[in-house]
Amino acid sequence: MKKRIVITGMGATTATGINLEQSWQAIKNGESGIRPITQWNVEDWEYKYAAELKEYDPRTMITDRKLLKLISRQDVIGLAAAKQAIDHSGVLEFRNSLSDVTEFNDRTGVYIASPGVKFNQQYDLMPVFAKAQGDLKKFGDVLFDLVHPMWLLRILSNNVLAYVGIENNFKGPNQNIPNHGISGTQAILEAFQAIEANQMDRAIIVGYESAVEPQAQTYYASIGTLSKESLRPFNDHRDGTILAEAGAAIFIETLESAKARGANIYAEILAGAIVNEAMGVFPISENAEGLQRAMQQTLTKANFTANDVGMITAHANGTQNSDASEAYAINKIFGNQIPVTGFKWSVGHSIAAAGVLETALTVKALQEEIVPGIQSLTKLASDCQGINVRPEHQALTKPTALSIARGFSSQHGCLLLQKIE
Amino acid sequence: MNNKIRVAITGIGMVTPLGHSTEATWQKLMEKKSAIDTIQLFDASHFTAQIAAEVRDFNFNIGIDKKLQRSTIRSTRFALNACEEALQDAGIRPTETTAERWGFSSGSAMITAEYEFWNEFQKKYAADGNLDVKKLAATGMSSISPYDYAAMQNNSGLGLMTKQFNIRGYTISVHTACASGGQALGIGMQAIRRGDADYMLAGGYDSMINPMGMAGFCLLGALSTYNDTPQTASRPFDLTRKGFVLGEGACFMVLENLEKAKARGAKIYAELAGEGNSLSSYRITDSHPSGDGAIQSIESALCDANVSIDQVDYINAHGTSTKMNDFSETNAVKAVFKEYAKQIPISSTKGQMGHLISAAGAVEGAIAALTIAKGIIPMTRNLNVPDPECDLDYVVEGPREKSVNVAMSNSFGFGGTNSSVVFKHPELV
Repeated sequence: MKKRIVITGMGATTATGINLEQSWQAIKNGESGIRPITQWNVEDWEYKYAAELKEYDPRTMITDRKLLKLISRQDVIGLAAAKQAIDHSGVLEFRNSLSDVTEFNDRTGVYIASPGVKFNQQYDLMPVFAKAQGDLKKFGDVLFDLVHPMWLLRILSNNVLAYVGIENNFKGPNQNIPNHGISGTQAILEAFQAIEANQMDRAIIVGYESAVEPQAQTYYASIGTLSKESLRPFNDHRDGTILAEAGAAIFIETLESAKARGANIYAEILAGAIVNEAMGVFPISENAEGLQRAMQQTLTKANFTANDVGMITAHANGTQNSDASEAYAINKIFGNQIPVTGFKWSVGHSIAAAGVLETALTVKALQEEIVPGIQSLTKLASDCQGINVRPEHQALTKPTALSIARGFSSQHGCLLLQKIE
Repeated sequence: MNNKIRVAITGIGMVTPLGHSTEATWQKLMEKKSAIDTIQLFDASHFTAQIAAEVRDFNFNIGIDKKLQRSTIRSTRFALNACEEALQDAGIRPTETTAERWGFSSGSAMITAEYEFWNEFQKKYAADGNLDVKKLAATGMSSISPYDYAAMQNNSGLGLMTKQFNIRGYTISVHTACASGGQALGIGMQAIRRGDADYMLAGGYDSMINPMGMAGFCLLGALSTYNDTPQTASRPFDLTRKGFVLGEGACFMVLENLEKAKARGAKIYAELAGEGNSLSSYRITDSHPSGDGAIQSIESALCDANVSIDQVDYINAHGTSTKMNDFSETNAVKAVFKEYAKQIPISSTKGQMGHLISAAGAVEGAIAALTIAKGIIPMTRNLNVPDPECDLDYVVEGPREKSVNVAMSNSFGFGGTNSSVVFKHPELV
């Protein structure tokens, strides 16, 4: 028999809130966390806006002071979100009630969606380059004087994975997925599939990102994907996306295990799919044929038809190509009736974290039976016609939501979530 | 749970320090050659470790379009060649009608920006060693190439390979340090089992033999400093070992449904029969002395493959040539295989080709699979002074003829991820 897999814990830290509830309230209140960047002086910058964390206070986010010296800002964000979701799930209290925790720990997985680049840690080597001036003998000579011996560990992509494991003693199957915009969705899907395949019983899934960084800002602007001030998905005047920092996490387990320990159940994950369009690192197709396939595969796996879906959380990143092709694909598969929303207008585009964050926010929408409006939508663009997206909230009439993620390297992913009665 | 779809390995491609193809690599393994030498890629004479296993005279020859080529870096060029070889070897590749049934899973490189890039970047935007954001704002947009930026993404290899080979199904890029390649094989197998793909191109690639990668490992003190005797610098399980030697390269396999592979008359190297994946949750760089963590991955892989401890004929060890790994891995093998532990030949090919980091699990998995097809197991080179605490059969005398029905490959990474994969003779049920 197919296992049923549910979400029993959620957490987030975003531009609009230090937890998931605050972030959700901001969306309902039409508030955005997009503001001028504070992490560096943007006085001379053409692109000054981002969605930086509402509050970044590492000493309240991480209790282990020694660990703080070994990790970077983005790792702190990931670990903080993980802790929120684990606390929220109450699973540690349950584990502590067991007489033997070995099997529990060995069957608890850790799945992490990670940023694909760590610019800030690469800057740590710049003093060595400056001293060496291309002379590699000098490079070797000054290295130990100028760089922390643990530098490589600060730059390690799987840091959050390692420390979530160490802090909680979770020892099951695990992955670290630095797969750009679909990372979060893929981390959830891979964990879901590992439970289905009976490799484990439960998992913490974390997405984290600190995309707000001078070089990233420059690059995204140079490929024409960045907005100068706001993120207006599907809008007539949209000029790009806004980069964000965020951490988000969910705890998932089998329905059976959740019931057995008396856990609060927030939603069920029904199915998901990821496909590739084979177009290279940056391009996306005009008809989003990949996204259409991902949506169709997800419905088929869950034995659903398009009309069974109550809302769609679109990728809605505010760029010309992505929004237009996404609207086209949604219309193709779902028509123009099913309410569509998106969250990036409020929390920005947190790349690797987005899939987990938007899953958590979608669960809030399912619970409260509201399809939140997109506050920044003033006029639906002519190239985004045929979808039911609005600035005002709509009522949710069916308890099922499809969440979409898209990312570099031609990838498209979907997850289907359902409210649990 | 014996109703799992069986997965066959029908193609293997490799670029390693020992050779630029699977056959060339295997040949040098059998000749007991070491690929480790003084670094020629850059002047490492003032680094604490000055040796590595480099891929030399590499000929990037698969004919890709110029735009795509501009987004490649050394490690992704290795990967593209290895993928092409794997597809040719398998005698099958994505077509317009099958592309959506092909997937891709890879363990991607640890560091994606190259030294040359950062050297230029520093001159322009960090002249005094600190990032000059004013300068970046003033000139960044015009002088920064989107190709560099594309190459710098950790998943750029995925983008390059899926485009080059027209792979349109399930795709994933993972990074768990030295366990990456092994994990990617397991992920590929799972995707076929659950029906998301009929074919997967699965493997890993890495190249850290550059001033930045070497700097990172030198700072940690993880590398062997036998700089004057490079050929014997990597000494897995030897009492006199001083650390690992960095290698580079790529390996990809074509995985497909075993019954369908048989039906099309494909040559089958082995069945990829099981994977185990665990987290040590002990320390960031150290493995647990008892083997805890590794034990769970080995046991899960055996269980997944439906293999008992007396059935395993060969283990390709992670065997990094660090005291911590070799001791912990030996203890893990003893804990799992009990009275059989000393009867199972176990060897580390890192003695000959160093540590390929994200590619290691894929290359070594392929070597384990090849022992089944070839009936010979490779040796552990440079094990001359036995470590009393590492007392298994490490195949020290040279490659050994042995009929292998079941082989295993282990990969354990910084950060505590452990990956084990099990291969079976295709006729073994």
